[in-house]
Amino acid sequence: MPTSALQPFFDDRGWQPFDFQMQTWNAYLAGKSGLLHAPTGLGKTLAVYLGPLTEGLETKSGCQVLWLTPLRALAADTLRALREPLAELAPHLEAEARTGDTPAALRARLRKKLPHTLVTTPESLSLMLTHSDFAEKLGGLRCVIVDEWHELLGTKRGVQTELCLARLRAWFPGLRIWGLSATLGNLTEARQTLLGTAFKGSVEVSADMKKPIVIETLIPREIDRFPWSGHIGTKLASQVADEIEKANVTLLFTNTRSQTEIWFQELCAIRPRWKDRIAMHHGSLDRAGRDLAENGLRDGSLKCVVATSSLDLGVDFSPVDQVIQVGSPKGIARLLQRAGRSGHQPGSVSRILGVPTHALELVEFAAARDAALARNIESRTPLRKPLDVLVQHLVTCAIGTPFEPEAMRREIQSSHAFENLTDTEWDWSLGFISNGGSALAAYPRYHKARLDDGRYTVDDKRLIMQHRLSIGTISSDPAVSIRFSNGHTLGTVEESFISKIKPGSSLVFAGRRLTLVRFHQRTATVKPASRAAKGQIAIWGGSKMPLSTELAHAMARRMHGHGGPSPEMMAVAPILAIQKKWSRLPSDDSLLVEHASSREGEHLFFYPFSGRLVHEGLAALIAFRISRESGESIVTTQNDYGFSLTARRLVLDEEKLRFHLSSECLLDDLVACMNTAELARRQFREIARVSGLILQTPPGQKDRSMRELQSSASLLFEVLHRYDPENLLLLQSQREILEKQLELTRLSAVIRRIESIPMHLVETENLTPMAFPLWADRLSATLAPADAATRLEAMLHTLNQAALKL
Amino acid sequence: MNPFPENPAIMLLSEGAAFLSDTSTLVVADVHLGKSAAFRAKGLPVPEGDNARDLARLLGLAKKSAAEHLVIAGDLFHAPSGITPELETALADFISELGIPVTLVAGNHDVKIKQLPPQLRSVPYLELEGNCRVIHDPAHAGGSHLHLSGHWHPVVKIPDGKRTSLRLPCFLLRENTLVLPAFGSFTGGAIVVPVAGDRIFVALRENVVELPPELVF
Repeated sequence: MPTSALQPFFDDRGWQPFDFQMQTWNAYLAGKSGLLHAPTGLGKTLAVYLGPLTEGLETKSGCQVLWLTPLRALAADTLRALREPLAELAPHLEAEARTGDTPAALRARLRKKLPHTLVTTPESLSLMLTHSDFAEKLGGLRCVIVDEWHELLGTKRGVQTELCLARLRAWFPGLRIWGLSATLGNLTEARQTLLGTAFKGSVEVSADMKKPIVIETLIPREIDRFPWSGHIGTKLASQVADEIEKANVTLLFTNTRSQTEIWFQELCAIRPRWKDRIAMHHGSLDRAGRDLAENGLRDGSLKCVVATSSLDLGVDFSPVDQVIQVGSPKGIARLLQRAGRSGHQPGSVSRILGVPTHALELVEFAAARDAALARNIESRTPLRKPLDVLVQHLVTCAIGTPFEPEAMRREIQSSHAFENLTDTEWDWSLGFISNGGSALAAYPRYHKARLDDGRYTVDDKRLIMQHRLSIGTISSDPAVSIRFSNGHTLGTVEESFISKIKPGSSLVFAGRRLTLVRFHQRTATVKPASRAAKGQIAIWGGSKMPLSTELAHAMARRMHGHGGPSPEMMAVAPILAIQKKWSRLPSDDSLLVEHASSREGEHLFFYPFSGRLVHEGLAALIAFRISRESGESIVTTQNDYGFSLTARRLVLDEEKLRFHLSSECLLDDLVACMNTAELARRQFREIARVSGLILQTPPGQKDRSMRELQSSASLLFEVLHRYDPENLLLLQSQREILEKQLELTRLSAVIRRIESIPMHLVETENLTPMAFPLWADRLSATLAPADAATRLEAMLHTLNQAALKL
Repeated sequence: MNPFPENPAIMLLSEGAAFLSDTSTLVVADVHLGKSAAFRAKGLPVPEGDNARDLARLLGLAKKSAAEHLVIAGDLFHAPSGITPELETALADFISELGIPVTLVAGNHDVKIKQLPPQLRSVPYLELEGNCRVIHDPAHAGGSHLHLSGHWHPVVKIPDGKRTSLRLPCFLLRENTLVLPAFGSFTGGAIVVPVAGDRIFVALRENVVELPPELVF
């Protein structure tokens, strides 16, 4: 125990080390790796950092500690936090950050000599692996710390991190790896994923001191006037403004960027005097706009910031004393994470106020509180074998130091993601980076890595540069930037949105009312609009996040009277009473199906409580199976609680429904009904980018020679399909799309559960409170898309019919 | 499909070509041969196959239409690095089997190629009977001619439903210039932003149909 060295540091501050900090130091000094799980603001930075720091006090050269952070924006704050103990305990040692934002001069300096502590991101670490002297520059690396591991887990960036760690472990066999994570349902698996083969003998340290979290809900004053559906929720805006008034600094979270714009407008309208003390923050805003909001939160000069998940992470906003969540929390971990943005100092309370946007969200908030108290938190499933990430990493490694395939395979398989890599997959990956994969004859004159004396190497300077530019796994859609004619940029919107707005019309973006002047080549020039202008609020695509299994489960329990009395349940009681009177309350241990008729035909409403994506898949599946049998054309809708089918005729008994809901031929039918080929083609964009099939053109660079190498992912998808159908990346895109679009694993589990529980088929006279939102959400109806010719014929036919009527 | 009441000799074919029956001339644009080889030469793993397929399609079309003259409205080739010996052989075989004269109206990609195969007649533009001129870049249109061109790889986007849209290669007629869709399989497309007066034609099964303005604007 390094108390001797650390004692003064704590004494000066009048601090007492926490148990979990001591445990972490001891485990570290005993040579162990591990995972530390503690809520934010409990001194977890010191817990993982002081061990390696005190151990290396005498060392002067080489990099001792690598600190990986998932967010570039966090690097500066982290650096500040690390420099504090460093300045005191070892003033002769340096800490620096190297990310995509690092200025060129500092980057050049870091190329020559690395500091004692280096803060960096997975992408920058990969990039450094391409420098042949990186291992030497690292010198005696002792420890890698991965911050916010829960954010990386289950993503391709997480796998990229796993592979980088495997490389570092191979270089420095005694390396200790420590992860920091928020609470997850699968902490052991999270540690296993982080550490790979180093899992054996590692430890999990838990800050068992529970940080008090208070989850409250804003209760609508008149529940019978409160909507049964919707997602904007501005009905409660004036009540929300009152709450903001009471606190010093409020962070108001919404679920989408558009909602952020709407709430910002709404609050400005209700409290005009807050005009300069309220700001907004979302991922499409320009850096300057986001900095304004972040700095205002840090120094407490703002009253309120309206934000999306872009502020979920990291940055320490001590002055924030109230967090508000507008709309469904979607998951328990997410709600806790957001709650943790307030009361950041050790010992203080985190509070979050839920604002429902429709009646059933009252139940969601009550259920989230139950589950949070019971520590029933979502898991994050680690990704397995994304080959696009593997081939990128292999090229990265080959550029850095030529590798011998067998040794590299052992190294790759020491990671959790690739521990079960097959011979076929490995051979294909090596082929892909050298001569084009298994179909050798199909790739004449292609080479990237060369086999030289038994080792794979990349020595073409142009290829090396090309690869460095494209390292990473995040693919962003090309966006349109919004700027004033003086060049001042506000942020980005999607082309599909801006192309619908005519020059001279107005729009709302970044909290401003703007008039579009012109839209030309990825730039929309705007000017401030006249005051009266209403304007369309910017909208962004992107799928809505589904309700988590854990929260859905907790909701079903709440509906059936489990859990103590709560203001939310009291408020929503009249609505649940109607549901119970007209039909039944849906539950976990039986499946409720309602049947109703209307002028449009017949409706079936199902309530499996399994999240929007699973419901979308189930609805498409049943619609497909019914129409295959009867030829009926069926319209489907879904939300987080259930899904609906509407058709002219839908007479079905329980036996029939069970037959259509069976797990038999599940995958085949899903592939058939979801037009997976089309979806996989879209998913392929990311895979093509990561695996190096599509080049990244750096912003601003207009290299004419690059133009010849541009192609779209869907075109490549077709070419591969035609001439190299065995290409494993095609299989990967199908697998990814089923998981991403339909949560296939969860869907299979749900359908198996439904098979084992009783079904209640209820005839209803009116649309019940549960059914109404599904019925009203007709906009999201999707018909199974046919091939292009059929769709075009249908459109032309409709037009002809309309013309005949005139 | 014939888009010009005043010039009944011009037919649009569903394969993405124009046929001039006066002179039995088949016109296609933007074949981009050797594109995948150019990709591979730069270290991008794209399989080979489209050259053979595209040449076979073109041969079939020429035979089917009984053309006596094949005109490429530019960009027969993609890049110098894509011209491999295999491609040269395949192209020579194609021309000899075709058995009719082939004229290349040199496109912006073709002009980078130092030595074009000798069987090809390369011209900057081509005058045909009926006041018709073949050019590559629609920007070079001028005068009262009817122009046949390429270069733009026009594609029309037709929304159908809330989040879905069709994306189809198309013929675009703007003023007196007809822009042909790209013939090559490994060529992308650029979505047409229609201006008033534009007429758009797409292949629908074996026919070419004109899109009603309701679907375009």
